[in-house]
Amino acid sequence: MSLTILPKPAFQEFVSRMLADYRVAGPTPKNGAYVFEEIHDASELRMDYPTTLLPPKKFLLPTREVLFKYTRQNGGVLQDPPESPPTVILGVHTCDLHAIQLLDTVFSSGQYDLHYMNRRKKTLIISIECLNPCDEHSFCKSMGTLTADEGYDLHLTDLGDRYAVDIGTQAGEQLLAKYANARAADKEDIQQLNAVISAKWPKFPYRLDFDVSELPSILELSMKSPLWQELGDRCLACAACTNVCPTCFCFDVKDEVELNLVDGQRVRQWDSCQLDEFATVAGGHNFRASRALRQRHRFMRKGKYILDAHKHLGCVGCGRCARACIVDITPVGVFNELYRQQEAGS
Amino acid sequence: MVAIASYPQTQVIPNFERDIYLPYLAKIVDIRPMTALEKVFTIELPNGMSLGHRPGQFMEVSVFGVGEAPISISSSPSRSNGTFELCVRKVGDVTTALHNLKPGDKVGLRGPFGRGFPYENFRGKDILFVPGGLGLAPLRSLINQVLDERAHYGRVIILYGARNPGELLFKDELKAWGEREDVELHVTVDRGDETWTGNVGVVTTLFKHISIYPRNTVGITCGPPVMYRFVLMEFFGKGISEGNIYLSLERRMKCGVGKCGHCQINNIYACQSGPVFSYREIKGLEEAL
Amino acid sequence: MSANGKPKIAFFDFTSCEGCQLTVVDSLQDHPELLNAVEIVQFREAMSEKGEDYQIAFIEGSCTRQSDEARLKAIREQASIVIALGACAHLAGVNALKALHPLEDVRKYVYGDKWEWYETYDARPIEAVIPVDFAIPGCPIDRNEFIAVVKALLLGKKPPIPDYPVCVECRLKENICMYTKGKVCLGPVTRAGCGAICPTYGSSCEACRGFITNPNQDSMKDVLEEAGLSVEDITAIYTMFTTYQVREKLLQKG
Repeated sequence: MSLTILPKPAFQEFVSRMLADYRVAGPTPKNGAYVFEEIHDASELRMDYPTTLLPPKKFLLPTREVLFKYTRQNGGVLQDPPESPPTVILGVHTCDLHAIQLLDTVFSSGQYDLHYMNRRKKTLIISIECLNPCDEHSFCKSMGTLTADEGYDLHLTDLGDRYAVDIGTQAGEQLLAKYANARAADKEDIQQLNAVISAKWPKFPYRLDFDVSELPSILELSMKSPLWQELGDRCLACAACTNVCPTCFCFDVKDEVELNLVDGQRVRQWDSCQLDEFATVAGGHNFRASRALRQRHRFMRKGKYILDAHKHLGCVGCGRCARACIVDITPVGVFNELYRQQEAGS
Repeated sequence: MVAIASYPQTQVIPNFERDIYLPYLAKIVDIRPMTALEKVFTIELPNGMSLGHRPGQFMEVSVFGVGEAPISISSSPSRSNGTFELCVRKVGDVTTALHNLKPGDKVGLRGPFGRGFPYENFRGKDILFVPGGLGLAPLRSLINQVLDERAHYGRVIILYGARNPGELLFKDELKAWGEREDVELHVTVDRGDETWTGNVGVVTTLFKHISIYPRNTVGITCGPPVMYRFVLMEFFGKGISEGNIYLSLERRMKCGVGKCGHCQINNIYACQSGPVFSYREIKGLEEAL
Repeated sequence: MSANGKPKIAFFDFTSCEGCQLTVVDSLQDHPELLNAVEIVQFREAMSEKGEDYQIAFIEGSCTRQSDEARLKAIREQASIVIALGACAHLAGVNALKALHPLEDVRKYVYGDKWEWYETYDARPIEAVIPVDFAIPGCPIDRNEFIAVVKALLLGKKPPIPDYPVCVECRLKENICMYTKGKVCLGPVTRAGCGAICPTYGSSCEACRGFITNPNQDSMKDVLEEAGLSVEDITAIYTMFTTYQVREKLLQKG
């Protein structure tokens, strides 16, 4: 829509004012790494963070959430309307922004997921342009997620002593009008924005050896690749890859009950296709018993299945799974190897 | 991996008010013990509602405090007067808890879910049913639907196999089907006992007893995972075409609404696109069989 | 079942530090309402009364002498549900370490010149002596898990002991992975349920809860080797709590 300017002291002020009315979450330091956490003071934020352990997804799809409460006494179900506070998530990188757009599609299309969508509707996203690669594992440029032109309410670009603020939605515009003292961008601001953006792109390498548009067909032809068995031999099935993934959305549902054995709640929690029991039915048959097939399933989802179903790639190139994997199974390594095998075979 | 992307999905009109995970309550009106492991539950919907299901669809059944499990509907739409039936094998926490319930108790329900059998397309054709073990539970829904509109179909052939005589389900109905002149029923058990005088052997050994007109026959099977490949070979051996073979596939349908991921077969959510598939639809799916 | 309809439960101890029973006492303080749901008829750690009419037996400790077997069999005879409580009962735990040395040396080291007075044999988990229905893993057990198991039993459910690795809980807590810190950790092969408590407080997982059903031990061993550990180091890590299981596995392989 339009570009405005928020000097950094005014940004701090903006955050402080929002804190009065919103739950505000953003990147904060933790034990030498960074996590998205609810903040209580603007000074807790580290907007120049490289990456976080878990993606901001956890504020939209919590690791664990109550779906409803029940009482066993007369078999009654007490609907607990999913309530979440109005939330602003600050400092979302564009890879994660693309991931949230996918999650929005997954939970709003087909059967409508009230729990996710109620939270989503109450959430404003203020994203930030990445100006430097976070580390050697990210491959956002190859995946087309190094920038975003939608999915945010406000989008920041760091111009040194001030942020350029791109307004993405009317809600973002209202938020800015109500809580911030922004000024309109002048010619000099726009020049500097241009300089910053054109300086950033060369810093990010392409890491895939092929164009991402080829990824679905590469995967489609790789169902029988020997690579899956190699991955299965190495994979510890610890599920770190899927647990840190910004696009993974598989879940399990469990009943919990109080010690009075009468009151209880049904709980949804993150699950992982990499875990042994994921595809096991009550009779005991496991439809994806080998780690090799589970790794194949994971990568097929990331680069093909989710694209087929939801028109968004299931991988945004954030590199979290590569960082988290103890045995160095990385999407860049896997995708490039499958490409190499096909080139060698053809 | 052919034409998977264009696989027909269940069309769903989003409902922005309703919580798709919230069950409604229904009353168990009758429980019939069937075998040592299986009971048949008759469930009455609230306010005289009709389930409006198709044969082959499944329900998500809750016993609060224990959890929720997917269970296929074993009664036919033609016989649902405000009630429906579930044949439940005691195999996990939820099904064990169900077995401990009594008539009058309530359960939570979501559903019906999934794509059932397109039985209207079978009209005018001969139907060869091949249930194995508990696979009779979902197929019974279709068999009774077909029998209740018998004139629409050609021959009805049922080849049913169980592990032993004690595990045969719906024995009274088997007897009735066997006595009908318009049903060809063959039953076998893997291992007989002193009372058993019928066929012994796995279900595929029954194919030698029948001859069919393949161009006009629909082959339908449901049973334990190990059974499908062998039954398919028999269907092919009889000359039934891929598009005329229907299978109901078991998977872990946790949410029933295409989100949780547990029932995925390659890129297909069995809870949405299945559990009933024609063989033509799944033959390219590595993980289907 | 007692007259009030509550199931009667009893606690027993064999070779152990009794820390798991202490954890039970602790969870009773947090959840006194548990006593509305069950009746405890025997619990040496917490009460002096002693009833022999119980349905659920919790057994702490491993079996380390022949003469304990009769007592275990009597418990099995009485109880309809037997639960191994904690690593010693579940795995034989650290008690099994003595199997790595000649038994006579161990006896002399512990009991000095009176070594022949004291009976002992290789420590074994309870399930090596009598059938065990369920185990609550851990050294010590997790108090929330204990409560969850009791609730499940009262509802007739299988106890909710996870069969996925500690890494799942560790990642969701946003801990820094021990491997990122340059340390080794058995989290990837160890059964979760502890809330990854050790890594959360900066210590590596030592597999006190035993292994998941299908651990990738070959890859785990490669990871430890790549981290620079010698065969002796790896053996030391693997034998902390799981000596009995590792030895059984080796015996199976011949």
